[in-house]
Amino acid sequence: MRLNQCYKLLFFIALLPFLSSCFEVIEEISMKNDGTGDVVLTINLSQSKTKVASVMLLDSVQGYKVPSKQKIQQELNEAVAYLKKSEGITNVKSNTDFNNFIATISFSFKDVSNINNITKNILAKQKIKATNTSLYSYNKTSKTFNRQYQAIGTAKTEFNKLKPKDKAVFNGATYTSIYRFESLVTSSTNPASNVSKSKKAVMLRSNISDLINGKINVSNSIQLAK
Amino acid sequence: MKKILFSFSLLLLFNLVKAQDLVKKIPANAFTVATIKGDNIFKLMFVKDFNESFVGKKLLEGTSKSLDKNFTTIEDFGINLDKNMYYFNQLTDSITYNCFLIPLKDATKFESLINNKDNKIKTTGDTKTMVLPDSTSIIKWNNNMMYFVTGSIKSSFFADSAKSAQYGIKDIRFQNDEATLADSAAVAVDSAYVTTTDEPMVEAVPAPPVKVKAKQKTATKKTAKKATGKKKPAKKKAAVKPKQEVEEEVIADAAMDVAEAVPAAERANADYDLYQQERAEQEAKQKRLAFTWMAAQAEQIFNGNYESIESNKSYTSSLDSKAIAELWVSSLQDVYNAVAPEFGTYGKSGLMKGYGSLNAKLFMDNKSFRISTGLELAQEQADSYKKIMNKKLNKNFLKYVNSEKAIGFMSYAIDTKAYLEELPKLMKQTYGSFLGARMDAEMDLGADLLSLLLDEEAVSKVIKGDALFVINGLNSKEVTYTTYDYDDDYKQKEVIKTKNETLPDFLFMFSSDDTRLINKLIKYGVNKNFVSAEGNIYKIIEKKSPIDIYFLIKDGIVFFGNSLTEIQAINSNQVKSQISKTHKNLLSKNNFSFLFNAKNLVGKVPASEIGGEETAKKFNSTLEKMGNVYMKSNPIKGNLVSADISAEIPNGHENALKYLFSLIENAAK
Repeated sequence: MRLNQCYKLLFFIALLPFLSSCFEVIEEISMKNDGTGDVVLTINLSQSKTKVASVMLLDSVQGYKVPSKQKIQQELNEAVAYLKKSEGITNVKSNTDFNNFIATISFSFKDVSNINNITKNILAKQKIKATNTSLYSYNKTSKTFNRQYQAIGTAKTEFNKLKPKDKAVFNGATYTSIYRFESLVTSSTNPASNVSKSKKAVMLRSNISDLINGKINVSNSIQLAK
Repeated sequence: MKKILFSFSLLLLFNLVKAQDLVKKIPANAFTVATIKGDNIFKLMFVKDFNESFVGKKLLEGTSKSLDKNFTTIEDFGINLDKNMYYFNQLTDSITYNCFLIPLKDATKFESLINNKDNKIKTTGDTKTMVLPDSTSIIKWNNNMMYFVTGSIKSSFFADSAKSAQYGIKDIRFQNDEATLADSAAVAVDSAYVTTTDEPMVEAVPAPPVKVKAKQKTATKKTAKKATGKKKPAKKKAAVKPKQEVEEEVIADAAMDVAEAVPAAERANADYDLYQQERAEQEAKQKRLAFTWMAAQAEQIFNGNYESIESNKSYTSSLDSKAIAELWVSSLQDVYNAVAPEFGTYGKSGLMKGYGSLNAKLFMDNKSFRISTGLELAQEQADSYKKIMNKKLNKNFLKYVNSEKAIGFMSYAIDTKAYLEELPKLMKQTYGSFLGARMDAEMDLGADLLSLLLDEEAVSKVIKGDALFVINGLNSKEVTYTTYDYDDDYKQKEVIKTKNETLPDFLFMFSSDDTRLINKLIKYGVNKNFVSAEGNIYKIIEKKSPIDIYFLIKDGIVFFGNSLTEIQAINSNQVKSQISKTHKNLLSKNNFSFLFNAKNLVGKVPASEIGGEETAKKFNSTLEKMGNVYMKSNPIKGNLVSADISAEIPNGHENALKYLFSLIENAAK
């Protein structure tokens, strides 16, 4: 839930508060043994496409301004431009499908720690406070992948201040993180996470509202076979 | 015959009782009058019930606490709850008065609401006066009524140096010539003091020398007269002015006498501090002047003889004995014209031409809340509107409303031909004078050009001017969406899944006698692939729209809708009329109507689509508490266009007022 916060910014902060709805945020990180890797972030509003399309026809809903396609595209482009300039980040691509309301951003990194500050900075540019902090790290020698996740207390307070109608938007929303490795996974510390049959991937799914509320913690320490 | 006599005498008696109403105290030139009808309110809810209600308890507790007393009933406030309470305001070019007239039953009880009253109340005969701290408002009362007035000076008036000088007030600017500044200030100080010292005696101002005091009194009385004279701004302005000036001279004279006492040293050096000080002083003077005028106005209300608002036909005809509250705003045009000269070159009179008084009435009974609003028009304007509104909704529309299922509808009917013909006239009346007399020719030309370009008759055949939008319930529809499946390796695979979505079925229709143009449009659409056809039914192929839209032309009606089944049923004449009598009346008798029937929506939207069980529960319980909400325009009566909004109350509530109180109580919980 780090980089995808920029999607939250682009799409749902402005859009979702009025969709009681289903949407998915997916974060995929593929780690190579040498510490480099790729990230694919997806936000999929397809399940709510009728509502989104209806809302897009309006100027504002429940007091929130509805961004136009152009505006969304522009902000996404800005995020891409920012990523391109970021240290250790290459191969940045983005794709939007306004028929199904699915957007993706993908890029490669030299070291997983390169992605640590990106979200916060993009959000800060848009004057939005991040709802959590996550630190990713990969130790080549010990072959451990770490994600240190910390929900920010104020995010919960802010969330609780929302009107029930607005909060409801997050009810059906899910967050999925998938980490893929070249080596086999020997252990994954987060009890909510699952290791794939092939033992080469770890998946964690949760409700976005639980994340914001701090009910669930997505910190994880994954040990790979040496 | 006896019966007639009896009822006649009853009517007389009723009028006599009415005569005791405080309305007679409202001056004829009041701009706004608002009434709260105590008797009608307390018919819906006994005083005892009110005291025991949540709102009543809060009110009594709050007042008891703040005054350190123990009130058990609102009758303890001494107000006569069986009579009407009024608010009115008066606008002049120099001051705006906001006034309340409250009937009293027991003045002693009312006085008990005032702390340390002995220091604050001044008694003259049976009238008592209290000045509120800061001298911005005055409360005056006797055994029958309480009057509250607060006035605010119009700064625009005193920005005009010629006018403000009449009152010894100077519009001070930093660059001002020193001598003038000081001089006028000296005069101003005095006149202002003269006019105010009489009032604040209650404030224990050290008594000035006897001689001066005598002078003050005469001056005050005169200003008092002047101030009340000023209340007739518009019509008699020219007549009033010279009189005012004479009075001004009197004041100025009185002022000059005392002016000599001002030390000459004070006239020196207009530095910034002095400017600031001067400014503050001038503002204080304006405030004191406002106070003097207010005092005079209040005095006039109690002891003066003047024409009351009851002589205003527009006001009296706006009243309804059943309303529980009423609002009346005097003719927009007159007021505009009265105030317009003060706007200088921008104030062109004639704008708002044709718009008369505005009124709103609130009704509550055992079935509903109703707000009725009306706007008076000039004859010419009313005639235009009458022509435009001379149209009824196509009767064939009615069979497409299913009252059992309808969540809402909206309809309108105007005569397109009359509308196109009258529009230029209406535009000219409303805005013509704004553009100036020289533009008259251009306005005429524009109107003629419009007529030339448009064949009103032909247009009115294509679009007759009546339309109905109806939501005949909700329907579940299967929609597809994209999501992901993950294999054993958690590799993502895009999959298409389906789910049910509840959408409102809307149907829009308008009448058309000449569908050739529309047919051509359809043909064009089909050629350009904007439209696909299936027999008589067309579908709009436009990805932007989140829903499918179908249309059909049948029997002089053009239909649009998102339910293929409904459109197909219309096409094959399978629609059976299922409209209720109320809905039929609402639609067929009015030029405009609107209905929202919340009950038909209760429980119809699956919880999963509103965001979970909890939200759904709240959503449904809110809807259950709502009765039908209607809006309708009434036929033009005389020169009055009017419209009603009403909301029915749910079963199980005695009347709308009690229901409102229960809503407030629930909301506060």
